[in-house]
Order: sequence, then structure tokens, then C-alpha cells
Amino acid sequence: MSLQKQELNSVIPDLRDLSLEQLAELGDSALANSIALYRQRLTETGVPLNSFSARI
Amino acid sequence: MIATHSLPVDAFMELASGAGDSVVVRQLREAQLSKHLMLLRAVAEAADSVQPPSRSTAAFRAGYRLLEEVRSADPAAVARQLTLPQVGSWAHDCLAGLVRGTVPDFGYLAAAAAVAAISPGIGFEIDVPVTDGRVLLPGLGCLEVGGQADWITLSSDGKRLHAGEHIALECAALVPDDGATPPVPNWRGTPLVRSVADGQTWEVLLETADKHLDRYELPMLTTMTAAEVTTWRDRFQSAWELLVRQHDWAAGPIAEGVTVIVPLTPRSDLDSATSPAAFGAVATSLPPSAVRMAEAMVHEFQHIKLCGLMDMLPLVEPSADRGYAPWRDDPRPMEGMLQGVYAFTGVMRFWDVQRHREADPDAILRASVLYERWRLAIETVTGALLASGCLNPLGTRFVAELKERGRCPRSAAVPEEAAEIAREIALDNELTWQLSHRTLDASEVAALADAYRGGEPLGRRALPRAGLEDDIRKVDSIARSRLLNMRGQEPRRYRRLSASDLPGLHAADALLLGGNPGAALSAYREELAARPDPAAWIGLALAINRLPSMPLPSACARHLPLLFEIHACLAGQGIHADPLDLADWFE
Repeated sequence: MSLQKQELNSVIPDLRDLSLEQLAELGDSALANSIALYRQRLTETGVPLNSFSARI
Repeated sequence: MIATHSLPVDAFMELASGAGDSVVVRQLREAQLSKHLMLLRAVAEAADSVQPPSRSTAAFRAGYRLLEEVRSADPAAVARQLTLPQVGSWAHDCLAGLVRGTVPDFGYLAAAAAVAAISPGIGFEIDVPVTDGRVLLPGLGCLEVGGQADWITLSSDGKRLHAGEHIALECAALVPDDGATPPVPNWRGTPLVRSVADGQTWEVLLETADKHLDRYELPMLTTMTAAEVTTWRDRFQSAWELLVRQHDWAAGPIAEGVTVIVPLTPRSDLDSATSPAAFGAVATSLPPSAVRMAEAMVHEFQHIKLCGLMDMLPLVEPSADRGYAPWRDDPRPMEGMLQGVYAFTGVMRFWDVQRHREADPDAILRASVLYERWRLAIETVTGALLASGCLNPLGTRFVAELKERGRCPRSAAVPEEAAEIAREIALDNELTWQLSHRTLDASEVAALADAYRGGEPLGRRALPRAGLEDDIRKVDSIARSRLLNMRGQEPRRYRRLSASDLPGLHAADALLLGGNPGAALSAYREELAARPDPAAWIGLALAINRLPSMPLPSACARHLPLLFEIHACLAGQGIHADPLDLADWFE
């Protein structure tokens, strides 16, 4: 496989085909880790994130 | 084990070049759906933990169940609803509220679920919140229900919607207001702007009712008259024609990725913003022209793409470091610098096209200056980011590609007049920033001043340790900087300026702006002989920069705060060093 065809795996779990009930059953999984990561970014970047006129 | 969203390397590199076609934008948007589902799950856990359940959490649970029901019948309807920027923004606000310890707006989900059920004609009964006599149906509009109640029951058999006991509407009538549909009693559709050019359509909602999109530095407009909506529609149509016909690289992706416009209360002639919490939404005041609106869309859409990418693939390590951003006058965090340089990569490309399409000589000059200005900024900031140590390996790859694209312009160099104006604006901006914020170790400055006073060569002496602190020196040069910018932004107005238009301008500045750099240089030297003044030091550098016979000493370009501090230190001892002699000492 050439370099350009390789895939970069993101930190967002692919939840598109899961039912909402299945989401609840995932428990301590990649989903929980991703939520924890998002919460961590929230804390690091300040709450709430504001407009880019103030951020860039 | 759940799979994660992935992005092909070539799509990543396309985004890193500042571009990204509609297919790539769709991939970013699909990841946003999963992000919103992820946040929704986190909000659901918070709602479950509220004991005893409140009316708000009960409405949330009912909304959650309704979404599940609609999803099993029409997954696309739920995906459409949950991908809306206002829904992402709401979920973000819920999580942010939980971090802060405030109660989330749980009830919003019930209204969002009702919207998801209405379009496929699925029956439901659900309680939704009422604010000021209105029920917000996210992405559709508002039901005018009146009264003082905080909640109302919506029920539908799939064809008709009942709100409470007295209001009934056809579900098919509950659509955004595209300006062509007749008014419906009790219903106010969200204004929909549909712009069409050469067979390409762009649809956006003008959202003024959803408080979760009122998240920008400037307040969201909360009401718009029919005439105002028409003005926005006309401006969008003109901007869309410009984008489709002259910037097709941007038009398709923007139509794919920008679905909501949040009109802002203006503070200047144009203010626009983007939030990482609302992928797909651009906030802007009404731009004064089609060109300005198109530029603003290109600028903000760059932010949207980078926000989407960084949600998937973080590029920057947490850092307290700050640096110089040529579009700002204060030190900026590294993530902000990355966002800015990415936005201006798109803006540079926009002006690169415009400078070849404009007919009026002043418009060509303006476009050329803007192109060159941002091209220079990209070179500066990508270099600083790569040297900062704040990028992870993927971020380094991203910025290296961005830098390379900035170095390989798609077309020929700009005319020398435009290049000279752009370089001067960039020099003024950077020197002003350096003198405003660069700190230097005072004892080490004093040691250098002693050496200079004693006639010793600089030799291999180390330069004083430097740091950053906001507004460490007052630089009184706003009027001069504004006029230097006017030279490129409004050439006609600049040419017509007379002395009476320049109140408060220093004599040396007037000489510089009047096109007499030699006399300006002498005047700045005289000013500095009288007192140490950061603005005069910058003026001196600008005057030298305009003199073809005199190269700008490297110390003026790279160490102006140091020259100022040594000069001030000596002045404090009653010694008036000549600024040019001091600059030469560093050569």
C-alpha cells in the first residue's frame, strides 16, 4: 500500500451505525476514553471556547 | 472494540496544503456526527445521574427514546439533525456546564428529537421547553405558542402537529422560511438562504433564535426584519456568484461544510468568527460587499476545516508558550497561531485569484498587497511553529506542508509597489509587537550599555535573556500604523490625504508618510536625542527601510527592543547615544 493510500486513525470512535441503546452498553471502552479526552481538552482550552477573533 | 474514524493520508495532506475538496469535508462532517453522538452519550449519563428525575431530565430521556425510534425507521433523518452545528454546540455547552458544575439544558434534546421525527412523518408525544412563548425546533424554526408556561406537550400523528390543546399545524408546513412559502399561523420558519450560481446551490440557515449558537465574542442578532433578511439573501447571492465563478476551489467545499450563519451585532465594518464547538456554523456581521463576504467565508471555513481535523487528529501539544502572530498585536498561544496561519493560507489564495480578476488599478493594488502580506505572514508563522516544539509529529507534518505551499505561490510575484507596501506593513507590525511585549534582562542590558559607552566592541558578548510580557512598553504609533495600512487597503483615500487629515501625527511620521524618508530619518534621530521613545525607534527603522541607499541594520530588524533599552539606559545616565551609531555597534 502506498503512503498516500494509508489511513490515519483518529481519536473519534465511529458511532454512526450504533443504536443509542448500544452506546449506553459500551461502558469502559474507546467511547469512554474519547469522552475523557474531550473533557480534558475542555479543561485545557477553557470553558466555554469562544470566538476565533479572540483565539487566533 | 469500536473502530475509529480515519482519514486517508492524501486527504490529510490536501487539508495541510490549505485546500480540501467536498469529499474531504464530508469526511470531517461524518466524524462530527460521531463526536455529537459521543457527547450525547456523556450528557445522557449526566441526565441519568440526576435523582429524582426533573422535568428537564425526563424530557431528555423521552427525546433520547424518540431519537432511537426515528433512527430505526429513518437513520438519515437523525443523522441530519444530530449533525447540525447547533446540536453540537448544545452538547458542548452541556459538557462545559457539567465541568463548571451548572445544570445542562437537558430539555433541548426533546425539541431536537421532535424535529427529527417530523420530516419522516413519525408520530410522537413529547414535552418540550417554552421560552418567551416560543418553542424552538432546532434547525426548523419556532412555534409561537404564547402563554406563560415553561413546558408544552407536542404530539403528532405524522401528518399534523398539535402544540398543547389549541394549536394544530400541518407537519409539511413546518419548514424553514425560504422567502417563497406563504406564512403559516403560529409558525416562524428559520430564514433559509438559497444561493444559486451556474447550477451550484448553497443553502444556509440564518439562525437568530438558538441560544446555543450565541457563543461568540459579539452577541448574536436575535431579531431580523424581512427587509434585513432580504439584504442578507442578496449579499449571499452576490458572494456565492463570486465564489463559484472565481474561487471554485473554495465554493464546493464551503457549500458542503457551512450550513448555518449566525448573524452578529456589528462592532466594526465586518466581524466574523468560528467556534470549534459548532462545526458548520459561521458567525458574521453583515459584510459590506460581496468580496468581503466571500473573503470572510473563505477565512472562517478554513477554521471550520481545521477544527474538524483537530477533533480527529490533535496536532498541537498542550503548551503555555506564546508567539508573534502578524494579524494580531498581542502574543498568541500556539494553537491560535496555527488556526490563524491556516485561515490566512486560504485568504492568501483568495487574494491571489482576486488580484488577477480585478479591473480597477486600486483594487488590483489592494488585492496584491493583501496577497503578499499574508504570504509573508505564512512564512513567518509556520517557521515559528516548526521551531516551537509545540507540534506533535502529525502537526509538524501538517505545518511543514503549509509552509511549503506558502513558499510555492501559484502565480507570479506581485508588482514591486505592492511588495514594498506589504513588507513595510509587516515590518511595522512586527517591530510594534516586539517593542510592546519583548522583555529583556535589565542587568544584562546595563552591561551592554557599559560596554558601548566604554568604546568596547560587541564581540562575542551574549545578548540579554529575552521573555514575553503583555504591553511592557507603551508604543504610541497607532495613527502611523493605520495610515501605513491605508496605503495598501484604501490607496485612493491615502493619496487624497492632506495635512489636515492627519491630526496628532508626529512631525517625523508626517515626513515619512509624505514620502520624504531622508528628512523623516533626521527627525526621528532628533526625537530620540530628546527622549527614548519606542514609536520613534520604529519610525527610524521604517525610514531607513524606505531609503534605497541605506540597508536596514540587522539590529533594527531583529533586536529593536534591545536598541531601545540600551539607548534608554544610557539616556538615564545623561548620555545621548546616536541611534544609528548604536545600531552599527551590533553589525
